[in-house]
Amino acid sequence: MIVRSLNGLGDLLMYLGTVLRSALGSWRRREEIFDKSLLVIQQSLATTVFAGFFVGAIMTLQFTLQVQMFSALSYLGALVTSATVREVGPLLIAFLLSGKIGAFTSAELGTMKVSEQIDAIRCLGSDPIREVIVPRFLGIIIASFFLLSFGLLFSFFGGLLMATTFSGLPWEQYLSQIPRVVSGFSILSGVVKCFVFSLVIATICTYRGYTVFGGAKEVGDGVVQAATQTMIALVVADWFTTFILEGLINV
Amino acid sequence: MIAFKKVTKSFGARTILNELDLEIPQGKIVFILGMSGTGKSVLLKNIVGLLKPDSGELYVDRFPVHQMSEHEMMDVRKICGMVFQQPALFDNLNVFENVAYGLRRHFELSEEEVSRRVEESLGHVGLKGIEAKQSHELSYGMKKRVSLARTIALKPKILLFDEPTTGLDPISTSRVNQLILDLSNQLGTTSLVVSHDMESALKVADHIVVLDKGHLLTQGTPAEMQESTIPLIQDFLAEVGAP
Amino acid sequence: MVGLKGEIMDVGKDAPIIELKSTSLGFDGHEVLKDFDLKLFEGDSLVLVGPSGSGKSTLLKLMAGLLKPQSGAVLYRGHDLSTLSKKLREEHLAEVGMLFQQNALFDSMTVFENLRFVIEEVEGIQQALDRKDDILETLEAVGLDHVLDHFPSEISGGMQKRLGIARALVLKPRLVFYDDPTAGLDPITSRKIVSMILELQKKWGATIVTVTNDMMRAYQLAGRCMVCFPGEFLKTGSAEDTKAFADPRVQQFIRGDVNGPLEAL
Repeated sequence: MIVRSLNGLGDLLMYLGTVLRSALGSWRRREEIFDKSLLVIQQSLATTVFAGFFVGAIMTLQFTLQVQMFSALSYLGALVTSATVREVGPLLIAFLLSGKIGAFTSAELGTMKVSEQIDAIRCLGSDPIREVIVPRFLGIIIASFFLLSFGLLFSFFGGLLMATTFSGLPWEQYLSQIPRVVSGFSILSGVVKCFVFSLVIATICTYRGYTVFGGAKEVGDGVVQAATQTMIALVVADWFTTFILEGLINV
Repeated sequence: MIAFKKVTKSFGARTILNELDLEIPQGKIVFILGMSGTGKSVLLKNIVGLLKPDSGELYVDRFPVHQMSEHEMMDVRKICGMVFQQPALFDNLNVFENVAYGLRRHFELSEEEVSRRVEESLGHVGLKGIEAKQSHELSYGMKKRVSLARTIALKPKILLFDEPTTGLDPISTSRVNQLILDLSNQLGTTSLVVSHDMESALKVADHIVVLDKGHLLTQGTPAEMQESTIPLIQDFLAEVGAP
Repeated sequence: MVGLKGEIMDVGKDAPIIELKSTSLGFDGHEVLKDFDLKLFEGDSLVLVGPSGSGKSTLLKLMAGLLKPQSGAVLYRGHDLSTLSKKLREEHLAEVGMLFQQNALFDSMTVFENLRFVIEEVEGIQQALDRKDDILETLEAVGLDHVLDHFPSEISGGMQKRLGIARALVLKPRLVFYDDPTAGLDPITSRKIVSMILELQKKWGATIVTVTNDMMRAYQLAGRCMVCFPGEFLKTGSAEDTKAFADPRVQQFIRGDVNGPLEAL
């Protein structure tokens, strides 16, 4: 089983290589990539904003109880924002994207595969990786950045609202310590994670869709596989990037 | 001409084509008959390189398909038009763009030339004037004909049909058979039709090839088939309805 | 063998097993049936044949109770299907078998489990355990007793179809609906499947309704034919009567003629 998983991982990496190579020459397809990004953003913006707002609020509630124990309520804003930017925000957006866009993409590609559209593209003299995969792949990655920005912005508002209403902390105080704790590195860390996570989602979900073989049932299987494998890959990737980034800061 | 020389293709433990030797003569309508699961579709997909033979040699025109890369196969796909079992239209493109798809990619044509070829191809399948429609607005039969137009727009020397009448009612079956006959005559193509419909084969084919378990069972003209004493052929003939 | 029991039985033998009373049904403003009447009696074999899109599968699903008419009523042994009591609904479920166009097999269950599941659902888990012999008998009748532990994906298309039939028949229903039982199969396998349907009907004597778009299968089934065109269902009688039926559309359909009142594709 281990050999088979390693083989599978090898195939996945080879696929990623092919996609990245095709992506290099994709400037002339920018309109389509833009369209796909827009589609992803449209499909997920409302959910992301909603979830972002509540995550900010929840984090504030949680941290309030803890910092009160140390009479450090003035650090509340800083702690919440730092945790959201560095960890919770990117991971949350990634889970949202994998659930919505990941499943959508793998099902769409799987259906194209079993209805012979992918074969037809090859027969009509075109490369399905370049024509079909790359726009969706890049679309997911580009959209993630926008969604992350929006999600974080609203989590900030959610946190601020809870701090003023529930924790009884004036908004100036909530903001005051943020610049001290949330450094450029925190933001960079969030951005790097966002990039890594969206790469994971885009790779696994397009790959699972593209490699479906059979009929409607196999499309379903592919979507389920894509969902579970993305989840596992995301938490592993999170651990790995945190590990590397924390290592960098300590050097 | 298409020539299979000891071509073998397996999926896992299942051998679909087993050292198949077969030559398809040029300029004819050739039907390949066989029961489900005898590798008829696999045979077609090998010709255009959607699948690769595990062993053996496969020549299409002058091209040694068995040793060509995906990139090199583009030249073969220019001369081989594949009509898929399902319409396989691109959902996000309108009829015009669907038919123009291959033209734009295989050839460097002016926009006027593309329009002219699209119109001509749609005319061949009796669907002039529906260029602006989206594929979801079409009936199943119209989709099938648009997909046929998309293939013949490339003016292929060889037309490959994957079970074109499976699941169709008798009238639609006759309509598709008529199209295959007309197109092959008008365009002068070699047409290779994979099917399990002996009745259509007897009406349309110049030459009939019967596969069984990945092997060539027999071949000949429709008249020769009707005289055949091979049990499988007789079973197929028993399914030919009254005229 | 499941006997006929309870209230449904009381209607008497001469009453139709299925009756459509001025039923109407349409989708998206497109009318399939209008004030349509039909009686189906015990032991009948009805064949619905016609071009795709004529609404023959819709009619089948209406008779099977899978679709509800927009007006009119579908009666099962004299009882309106839309107002059956819980007990009657259970009896109805046990008395009716259905083969779906795509087989609708359960992929995660073995051949044996696909049949056992039906008994569990309709009659309960204990019944299912007690009736292993019935399951084996049914699978033997369709020639699948050698692949009990295989999954549907591991057997051929023809065998999947036979499994679908076995599943429709495991409760020994009195009424069986076959929705295009030979779709996508090659003619030789198709002939075998229909022979099997006929053999099983002879053996267990159910009433059957079959949808097909293939005249050869309609002739082979040799039941009462109904030729379906969009918006019109013609009762054409036996296979011989149908061949001689005067309506030009019926003749065009039988001969597969491109020219005529019906449009192809």
